[in-house]
Amino acid sequence: MNMVKVPLQIFRYKPGQAPRYDTFMVEIPDTSHVIDAIDTVWAIHDRSLAFRRACHHSSCGSCAIRINGVEKLPCVTRVTDVWGGHDPLRLEPLRNFPVVSDLVVDVTGLFQRMSAADMSMICEAEAFLPFTVDTFAVAGLDPKLVELPENFSRFSRFEKCIECGICVSACPTMAADEKFLGPAGLAAIHQARKKSNDPVKVEHLLGLADGEHGVWRCHSAFECTEACPQAVDPAGKIMALRRELIARRFSKMMGK
Amino acid sequence: MSTLDYRKVSRASRWLDVRRRKLGMWAYALNRITGIGLVVYLYLHLVVLSLLLRGQAAWDFFVTVARSPYVLALDVILLAGILIHGLNGLRIAMTGFGIGVGAQKALFVAVMVVSAVTLWVATIKIFRI
Repeated sequence: MNMVKVPLQIFRYKPGQAPRYDTFMVEIPDTSHVIDAIDTVWAIHDRSLAFRRACHHSSCGSCAIRINGVEKLPCVTRVTDVWGGHDPLRLEPLRNFPVVSDLVVDVTGLFQRMSAADMSMICEAEAFLPFTVDTFAVAGLDPKLVELPENFSRFSRFEKCIECGICVSACPTMAADEKFLGPAGLAAIHQARKKSNDPVKVEHLLGLADGEHGVWRCHSAFECTEACPQAVDPAGKIMALRRELIARRFSKMMGK
Repeated sequence: MSTLDYRKVSRASRWLDVRRRKLGMWAYALNRITGIGLVVYLYLHLVVLSLLLRGQAAWDFFVTVARSPYVLALDVILLAGILIHGLNGLRIAMTGFGIGVGAQKALFVAVMVVSAVTLWVATIKIFRI
């Protein structure tokens, strides 16, 4: 393992202060990921640096930032893969979200959009924490019989999506329409629609997708799909929703 | 909570930021540039047509100007805009109907190849007139 000295140019913002970039020189093993470099800055150079991280293995999505202008998860991005060896590695917060501090953005809007499609961030297994569904199974109990806390409905996680916000940051349309449901929100609607046979719910979901800030706002840049670290393919889901909406309109026109 | 939120104009300026982006974003940016260019041309075209109201002399003068190599070069740029915007528009319409979504990059390459070849042939013809 060799050590490398990497210059990091990090976006800085604190409420009440003008945004700026600070440069730090960090010495890290050449096998390090970008999150390790950020950790080093925080540990050695500047304790006031604000950033998010949790799982360190592309599972929670909390650490998502822009590395040299492109949205990535720094926990699974090796420094040597994105650093050219000369210019500073530029680290910035995600776009299209309000910046809370340094690399931390307010992702409330993303979660609200996901919730609009009944895609809560809590999966069924987590509802029983500290016990998992498997724990119940081992004990021979049916978790469905366990009473949930008040105002707590059963949810299923939006497969694959880790709610990192990378697709929202990469989407150029999000920059112009703050109410646009966005790639993650529309992909969530597609997922919910696929799972539902309830005509009332299907109407509601397709109504959301067909709305002013729905699928027709997408301008087909396909950057969401390119940037998504989990291969959710939000653009593909948006196009699938469009296809269904068009098919339904044709059917209505034909009186079917 | 006090947050840093960029203004809409500042955010919309990122439409043309294609640095380190993929082909879909290049197609997106090109469609915007050519679209704006074609709108500007449309108004210019109307202004030029209004010369007819000033009589034959004014129109003959414009025709002489229009045959200069500089204006012919502008015609080539105009044709490039029409080709890219029109063909890319077909690509977007196709993917919007759910056709060829997985091949959107290949479709963009095809759009650019067809545009380049057509433009090459048209340029030769334009300058031989």
